[in-house]
Amino acid sequence: MGSISLKTKSKSNNLTAPGDVDLGAMIPLMTTTLGTATASVTFSSIPQNYSHLQVRIWGYNTSGSDRTLYLQLNSDSGSNYRNHWLSGNGSAASAGADSAATTGILPLNANSSQTGFNGDSTKASVVIMDILDYKDTNKYTTVRTLGGWEGNGTGYAYFASGLWMNTAAVSTLYFQLPYSTNFGSGTTFALYGIKTAGA
Amino acid sequence: MAYTYSKIATYTVGSGGIASIDFLNIPQIYTDLVIKYSIRTTSANQVDYMKCEFNGSTTSYSERVLFGYGTTTGSATNSGSYDNIIDGGANTASTFANGEIYIPNYTGANYKSFSSDSVAESNSTTNNMLMLAAELWSNTSPITSIKLSDYSSGNFAQYSTAHLYGIKAEL
Repeated sequence: MGSISLKTKSKSNNLTAPGDVDLGAMIPLMTTTLGTATASVTFSSIPQNYSHLQVRIWGYNTSGSDRTLYLQLNSDSGSNYRNHWLSGNGSAASAGADSAATTGILPLNANSSQTGFNGDSTKASVVIMDILDYKDTNKYTTVRTLGGWEGNGTGYAYFASGLWMNTAAVSTLYFQLPYSTNFGSGTTFALYGIKTAGA
Repeated sequence: MAYTYSKIATYTVGSGGIASIDFLNIPQIYTDLVIKYSIRTTSANQVDYMKCEFNGSTTSYSERVLFGYGTTTGSATNSGSYDNIIDGGANTASTFANGEIYIPNYTGANYKSFSSDSVAESNSTTNNMLMLAAELWSNTSPITSIKLSDYSSGNFAQYSTAHLYGIKAEL
């Protein structure tokens, strides 16, 4: 039996038939919106048939203070993570890195303090994270992140870079916060897969 | 949103490396273009710069950048389109840059403004770079080809990749 294809042709983006369904190259894979305060969020069994991953995060932590967002890949608890940042707090720019490779987590911070993920539910943080060639076993994984929060008087905009010194294909992303801090209710994590040409 | 993001072409560098990656005969049916790249060179540098040139033209480029390098921050303006950061061959082995170049309105008759955000990683506190760039090609021609090459005339290393996507504003 032949296949039936659809295509979105209308200005309102409603599906009309017949035509071609073209879901495009950027595919939503998993989304989590927290119903209660939660210590961690995990994307596991990530499909291995895309070229890149993108994670989009909207949310806050429950501490009442700024916190760094932590990322662990494939449950790797070794000293295999490096972080660098470029950020601005409204009055000055800064750049830097932790003094040594970090153990078990990749801090996506805005400076050397615990910063980057706000602790106020009314002034949430926004994070967009790109992980290119995530299943390429010939290279370490580099994570590029643009994020920040505006607190109406305080806040950060930051551009963070992270290195996972492991050539394994990325199959799990684990997010948490330091000091036993929870992600707040309503915080949303969305994972997208981006296809390559020919896929 | 998702179905407006279309894959156009992908290039993976083979053994021996290559001097440039060229996207030719780019379809003129999209609103914007996006290049995602994961690139390392074979040079003796820790961090390299990558040129992004259109339609075979090597002139009329300018850019304004914000960068972090170790603990140094700065902003600069340059004549060129080379502030797209890539890892050099002397940086931590197996480390490849992660970057994105966004080219809106590439078929239009205006000068071509585009942006880039890129990082070169390393297992050190210093041999890295983060770069945000606003770039301009002062030319009104539609973009039909894109050439990526090392500013220092080095080669892109094996396993480097560049991916070209088209984005439609509406269907």
